[in-house]
Amino acid sequence: MVSPDRIALVLPYKADYVSVTRLTTSGIASRMGFDIETVEDIKVAVSEVCSRIINAAAGLDGSFEVLFDISKESLNITFVSSIEKIRCIFKDDEDGLGIAIINAFMDKVEFCPESDNYILSMTKTFEVISGDGL
Amino acid sequence: MSSELILREEYLADKAKVFISGEIDIYTAQQFKDKLYSVVDNSSMDLVIDCSGLNYIDSTGLGIFVGALKKTRLAGRSIQLDNIRENIRKLFVITGLDKLFIIN
Repeated sequence: MVSPDRIALVLPYKADYVSVTRLTTSGIASRMGFDIETVEDIKVAVSEVCSRIINAAAGLDGSFEVLFDISKESLNITFVSSIEKIRCIFKDDEDGLGIAIINAFMDKVEFCPESDNYILSMTKTFEVISGDGL
Repeated sequence: MSSELILREEYLADKAKVFISGEIDIYTAQQFKDKLYSVVDNSSMDLVIDCSGLNYIDSTGLGIFVGALKKTRLAGRSIQLDNIRENIRKLFVITGLDKLFIIN
């Protein structure tokens, strides 16, 4: 089994750089061959999570990671932070907008993983078209 | 760090208009909120927001729209969103906010 390629982005807990995550996500998803609408979807989902992490960090020093694992079948994105209080970051999503967006745009989301190794993980899978289609 | 959001307002006889260009995210949200709420507070008319230049928004920005809508409704006024791009409209539909706003 071939291991996925990994691209890692390390970011400070600052709102200034959330747009950088969108650019990176767009670049990776486009390179993988997702269509333009799906690229936009993934970009928004990633930005949602990053914004939530930065809010949860509330101005703390340090950095968090966004890990992009690229395979032929899917793009898996994992968010990692060493700060203990940054866990289950969507549990207080009162208006539900963030969760609704992420669930709509990603195929699989782990909002509150049991593992302490990461904050959240989400996956977008290439659609499989059966029959004689492309 | 340069701003990625440009906002402009116009006060007309029958409405106030806000023109958005750029991205509304956690970094530009406060700027957007300050401007939008200021226009709501400074006008007694309905509000029209021209979104033709808006190319990104997430839940942070949507929450500000909702807050502005609450303020205008309390004052018996409405908010209309004009020229929304398809990717932005999709967010309003997914979150159910398309049922709250007048969207053209």
